[in-house]
Amino acid sequence: MNRFRALFQKEVRENLRDRRAIAMALLFPIIGPLILVVLVSTVARTTRGEIDAPVPIAIAGGDRAPNLVAFLVSNGARVSEAPADVERAVREGRLNVALVIPAEHEARLRDGRPAPVRLVVDDSRQSAQPQVMRARALLEGWSRQVGSLRLVARGIHPSVPEALAVETVDVATPESRAAVLLAVMPYFVVLALLLGGMYVAIDATAGERERQSLEPLLLNPVPRSHFVAAKVLATMTFAGAALLETLAGFALVPLLLPISTLGFSMRLDPGVLLRVGLLVLPLLALAASLQVLVAAQARSFKAAQASLSLMTMLPVLPGMVLAFAPAPDSPALMLVPTMAEQVLMQRLIRGQPIPFEYPIIAAAASLSLAAVAFWAAVRWFKSEKLLFGR
Amino acid sequence: MIELWDLHKAFGPVKALDGLSFTVPDGRIVGLLGPNGAGKTTALRTLYGVLRPDAGTARVDGIDLSSHREAALERLGALPHALGLYPRLTTREHLLYFGRLHGIEESVLAGRVELLVEALGLQEVAERRTGGFSQGQKLRVALARALVHDPLNLVLDEPTAGLDVAGTRAFRTLLRRLRDEGRCILFSSHVMQEVSALCDEVVVIARGKVVAAGTTAELKANTGQADLEDAFVAAIGSEEGLE
Repeated sequence: MNRFRALFQKEVRENLRDRRAIAMALLFPIIGPLILVVLVSTVARTTRGEIDAPVPIAIAGGDRAPNLVAFLVSNGARVSEAPADVERAVREGRLNVALVIPAEHEARLRDGRPAPVRLVVDDSRQSAQPQVMRARALLEGWSRQVGSLRLVARGIHPSVPEALAVETVDVATPESRAAVLLAVMPYFVVLALLLGGMYVAIDATAGERERQSLEPLLLNPVPRSHFVAAKVLATMTFAGAALLETLAGFALVPLLLPISTLGFSMRLDPGVLLRVGLLVLPLLALAASLQVLVAAQARSFKAAQASLSLMTMLPVLPGMVLAFAPAPDSPALMLVPTMAEQVLMQRLIRGQPIPFEYPIIAAAASLSLAAVAFWAAVRWFKSEKLLFGR
Repeated sequence: MIELWDLHKAFGPVKALDGLSFTVPDGRIVGLLGPNGAGKTTALRTLYGVLRPDAGTARVDGIDLSSHREAALERLGALPHALGLYPRLTTREHLLYFGRLHGIEESVLAGRVELLVEALGLQEVAERRTGGFSQGQKLRVALARALVHDPLNLVLDEPTAGLDVAGTRAFRTLLRRLRDEGRCILFSSHVMQEVSALCDEVVVIARGKVVAAGTTAELKANTGQADLEDAFVAAIGSEEGLE
């Protein structure tokens, strides 16, 4: 046991003195929470803007429709005089919404026929969409109001022309709205876990061979499995530090943002984060064992770096899919390490229920794969080829 | 005592060891002499357990490496060809690390580290990281590390490569002292002067087997040569790989 502690201590001490290992374990994990803060505050700004700010509408020939203009102003439009060439102004982006009231408008309105107005917009401009939609809604509102008055004047109930009464029920909870943004979180947790110990795994294996310290190390009367266990544990220690830092960073996110005023709640409370941490523990063991196995077989430090970077890209795939598509609900999915953990993390932060057997299946899958990787690494350490690399 | 008996080892088609047998008795320095590629490093690596022989046995104080590797390694100190120090650890940390890997009690270990630091003249660099050490300093740290568990058997693979004259002389004095303490020392080299200046006996190997063995005087007598170098060439049958 003392020998094992000596092995473990040496790996940790040596890497604590290495700036690159420290940077990987401690600098990178801040990036995830940082991105989330920037994302949320950006979205918050545009969301709030949609609701509160007046819609600027430039009107040409407003004097021909004083009632309409008065309605727009009283319903939250900022009305201005349109420039001479309206369409050009919109196309060039100087205006988002322009309203042209043609000469025949007044006469047709008086006759009770549809009075033409021209709404000039650029439908391809994403940023203008909220304003365009609100301008349309305002026009429809006025149209309906005047139409109802006309029906009433003819002794017809205003509801007669409405064959359908459509009621939209928005089931989006505050959590599910926030989850759109939180979708990035599980991916960053997995990434922190993979990157945090990556450098240590390389340094302790391919690095040790490159420095030629592997041969003297193997001359010690210590079972080879102890070497592997110490190196895996040191890797897990650094990855675990990175994981803790990422989780702490995400815990700080609600403090940095005025979440309650954004209209959605974020489930990043310590309870959820603690469960996220427990959920990915088996993954921590799997990542470290695999990294040690792969790096030990690499011929050089650089070759190990290339293989492990490639390995880090693998969980990007489920991460990307999950960020945009809803997670399918299947126990079979729990058999795929990193995929399973990311799905479960998504459910945790969305406040969705998790069948009790899911985390168990996920942990069993990750841990058995970790055991296989560990066993393969021990086998490799017992082989003569360890000294030379594959 | 170190015994190698009928060792065979092949890397693919290359026979690195081909029935190698010799013995290093206690209290003796034996030089393993041979041209490049003769199998010196392979023999030593088999002896300290990082290579497994295809056939034959290697024993340290009678303990078989292939069946009781860890017990045999307890009794063996080794200096591989590449010293392999950790640049980010200090001299003292190196000694403590290997001492603990040998399972030495902390109280015993502290005293032994002090003793080695003094014996090898490492006082000034004891607390320094080995990253910028000279070749001589590195060699002394590596040797101290190999001696930290006080082994009776010592194996050195071309240890004086890269040492200057003063360093080489100090190193020889040290090895003689270790021998006089009763240790058995096996020492590989392809430098003739090195071997004749230091070793009590010489084992000459070529193509993975012993071609001559004995004291330098016996070697010269057996080959009928007055000069050790000529004796060596006569023994291996060619001048290939000589320095």
